[in-house]
Amino acid sequence: MRDRLKTLAWLGAVLVAFTLYPWAFPTKLNLGVVIVLFAGMATAWDVLGGWAGQLSLGHAALVGIGGYTLALLSLRAGVPPWWGLLAGMALTGAVAAFWGWIVFRLRGPYFVLSTIAVAEILRLVAINWKDLTGGAEGLFLRELPRPFGLDLFNRTVEFYLALAYLGVALLVAWWLSWSRFGYSLQAIREDQDSAMAMGINPTRTKILAFMVSAALTAMGGSLYAIYLSFFEPHIVLDIGLSVELALIAYIGGAGTVFGPTIGAVVLLAAGDLFRNYFQQANLLIYGILIILVVRFAPEGIVGGWHALVRRLIRPAPGVPVEVRGERP
Amino acid sequence: MRRALLVALVVVLAGSLVSTAFPAPVEPLRIGVITSLTGRFATFGKMQMAGYQVALEEINRTGGIKGRPVELLVEDDASTVPAALSAAERLIAKGVPIILGTYSSGISKPLAGYMDRQKRVLLVSGSADDSITKPGSEWVFRAKSVASTYASTLFDLFQYLREQYPAIPLNTVAILHGTGAFETSVADGAVVYAKARKYQVVAREAYDRGLTDFRPILNRIRGLNPDILFMVSYEEDAVAIMRQAKEVNINPKIFAGAAAGFAIEPFIKGAGDAAEWVFSATSWTPDVKYPGARQLYEKLKKAAGMEPSYHAAEAYMALIVAADALRRAKSLSQEDVRDALKATKLMTPVGPVEFKDFLGFKNQNPIPMVVEQVQGGKFVTVFPASIAPGKPKYPTPPWDKR
Amino acid sequence: MTTFLQVLMTGILTGGVYALVGIGLSLIFGVMRIVNFAHGEFVALGMYASLLLFQSLGIDPYLAIPLIIVGGIVLGAVVERVFIAPIIAAPEHVSILMTVGVGLVISNLLLFGFGAHPQSIFTWYSTKTVRIAGVTFSGPLSVSFLITLAVIVGLYWVLTRTEIGRAMRATAQNRDAAELQGINTGVARMLAFGIGVALAAVSGTLLLPVLYVIPTIGGVFTLKAFVVTVLGGMGNVLGAIGGGLILGVTESLGAAYISSGYRDAFGLIAFLAVLLLRPAGLFGKSRV
Repeated sequence: MRDRLKTLAWLGAVLVAFTLYPWAFPTKLNLGVVIVLFAGMATAWDVLGGWAGQLSLGHAALVGIGGYTLALLSLRAGVPPWWGLLAGMALTGAVAAFWGWIVFRLRGPYFVLSTIAVAEILRLVAINWKDLTGGAEGLFLRELPRPFGLDLFNRTVEFYLALAYLGVALLVAWWLSWSRFGYSLQAIREDQDSAMAMGINPTRTKILAFMVSAALTAMGGSLYAIYLSFFEPHIVLDIGLSVELALIAYIGGAGTVFGPTIGAVVLLAAGDLFRNYFQQANLLIYGILIILVVRFAPEGIVGGWHALVRRLIRPAPGVPVEVRGERP
Repeated sequence: MRRALLVALVVVLAGSLVSTAFPAPVEPLRIGVITSLTGRFATFGKMQMAGYQVALEEINRTGGIKGRPVELLVEDDASTVPAALSAAERLIAKGVPIILGTYSSGISKPLAGYMDRQKRVLLVSGSADDSITKPGSEWVFRAKSVASTYASTLFDLFQYLREQYPAIPLNTVAILHGTGAFETSVADGAVVYAKARKYQVVAREAYDRGLTDFRPILNRIRGLNPDILFMVSYEEDAVAIMRQAKEVNINPKIFAGAAAGFAIEPFIKGAGDAAEWVFSATSWTPDVKYPGARQLYEKLKKAAGMEPSYHAAEAYMALIVAADALRRAKSLSQEDVRDALKATKLMTPVGPVEFKDFLGFKNQNPIPMVVEQVQGGKFVTVFPASIAPGKPKYPTPPWDKR
Repeated sequence: MTTFLQVLMTGILTGGVYALVGIGLSLIFGVMRIVNFAHGEFVALGMYASLLLFQSLGIDPYLAIPLIIVGGIVLGAVVERVFIAPIIAAPEHVSILMTVGVGLVISNLLLFGFGAHPQSIFTWYSTKTVRIAGVTFSGPLSVSFLITLAVIVGLYWVLTRTEIGRAMRATAQNRDAAELQGINTGVARMLAFGIGVALAAVSGTLLLPVLYVIPTIGGVFTLKAFVVTVLGGMGNVLGAIGGGLILGVTESLGAAYISSGYRDAFGLIAFLAVLLLRPAGLFGKSRV
């Protein structure tokens, strides 16, 4: 219980710290919105990828569905963006349910391969089905209604919306860290057969995790669409985006509450800071980092931090130590 | 004490006198530029930079802007949207009076949307997609040609050939295009013009970029025997299409290329003899009959260190236009810069520049395009006659008779 | 009718090269149980290596093949030792992420080294065609197909008639049992990866005369390789041949008669269908 509340307190602290960002960096709002949105989407990815251990390399499809749903409903039917966002979440949840029901019967790398295939097919559909999606030309969100007089295209407004989104994502991750559902996800991740022996239905649980992950990702996708205002399939349905989300979560620390957020902050902020030197090498560095993380620090930055803390408070031999219960 | 004060006063007075005798260095005027220095579009970014450099030199040689030397504040968009938006934010924070950019339509579109909302002037220097200035915004200007002009110019050429050679029937068109935004919009334009000018579109095939084998599509089109094969492709695909067209033995009377892929040097190099006779529409060629075109070509070639593409010329034109507007602007406020741009009436080596609202476009320069043809392994500008030194060779002989 | 034959033949010829790309992936999976997400990048490496040899030393791609094979085996062995072997016991998503990382590094190094613009080579045979009974085939594609057959035959010989081939097959069937038999599975795995990479690189070399190369082309090939191996059965080397042909023909016919915009989708749909209905592949579960 104490641990639970402590993490929640940290969560609150992180969000409060972020609220100061527009005041601290008023000329870097574009970057800020992107960092917060990606932190949220990486956390959403992590629900399936880190907590449940099902690696998806097709999450861009869910970002895209979220974005396109909001945009199409707004442009074609005048539906206000908040309903469009919820519709996107519902749609992706349904897609994930169907998709999961089909592929979660498979083990091994087949799930990963299927995510790539499905995302690619969706991209091709978006490009070719012009009447529905506007095709390769993409969509332009020219005008949006103003809830409470707020301009949704104002970067500061977008920042706080994105922050609210991150808050929701973090709360979900926090919930996973102590709930029964969260534990069943981890059980499946560690050893699916033993999990089954314990009475957990792996297929059903995986599908539920996928639905949560998908809806949460779509929420971010909708906000991303507003931020871009002008987007094409290539930007929101690209496999590069899927890989980026996975890597951010993993490098930050998969399966942890704050890992993906830390990954997003570190990678995207560093990318901007060092853009004069590393702009071209951005992806190269991602590649090198993931190799290093996978090889030497599978628990990412978060894991590395814990290891460092443990090292620092290592007691003299012979002295019993109360080690904080931690997941392997 | 009083002595010291007196000395100090004298020194200060003397110093201020001296400083008026030697005026302080003039603060340079910084113009913002966003381009793709790295990433997928780096080669085009390089071309744009060459154009900007040639224009910058010319501007500073002719006295700068209101006596101030001009400098460029260049930001890299790394061929991605988020970086471009952050770059714009940075440039705006630095207070530049105008921003020029970028190559890719996929990036220029969100950039234009952002600049419009921020009420800052954007002069689009490299993107052709119609939707950037249609419906456009009061803050977004474009001096270069739009995607739909590719199609209209080629259909003007077809009309001309119809009239010059009435004995040769020219009625059916097959359209082949990539699924990218630009290619699709040009193809859409082609369909509209075809219908308007009484051509029958016998096929319209889109292909996704990547590992592309055009033989199946070309085979199918060959069976339909079109008079015109209208192709919209980027460089790599253009080369492959023409090579495979030769293989598959497809023989329309006209091979028409309506995009960058067919209009640049690497096309001829890559496709070899398969490039001969191909027409392509393009914004600018070195031998087009605008004043100073040939000299511009030489300068661009030196600045780029290689054969310059028309992107370099377009970037050059954009910076020249920006400088011209800033010289005329009453102040450097965004409203005054915008108004000065709107009043532009200029002739450049790349073509005439005026910003008009027409056919749904806003602040768009109705600059025409030209058509070149590969003759004897070289590009020759052949149409329209008023600005083209060469003549079109027609009709295209079948592959086995070349 | 000639159109149909032409479309079909092109599909078969291209399919042959797809098969070569897929066989390497299948071999790696069969022996090591690793899905190599960088496989396409090795194809791209082969293309760039051949491009370099052609542009700087004037060596024709077809003549460069032996060099590429040797280079590929060495590179693959090194990659395996440095990146794969240390994590061989880890759960599967680890090797996926590792190979994704390796792929990112390779494609970005290629981007640095060669630039983002598309490059192709132009040889005396680049636009030559072969005409049989009114059907036109691409000359280079036909030659590539024949060489692919030769390579596959060569691979088959290695796998069935050599010591190391037997070692690889034994490791594929049951690693522990192979160890007990005294087989050095570490070496077997290293060579399997090396040969897999070499096969990928050679298919790149064979494709260079008929295609262009850009640093990001690897991703496309990786996806094609997956489709081929799943269609043929993961780990089934002979099945990959069938898988490649099916993919080639499906794409060709689909693009010509249904819609060329959705060309890549046909293969992906077949891929999903097989995954769901017959995950063992269309050609049964026989290993190597």
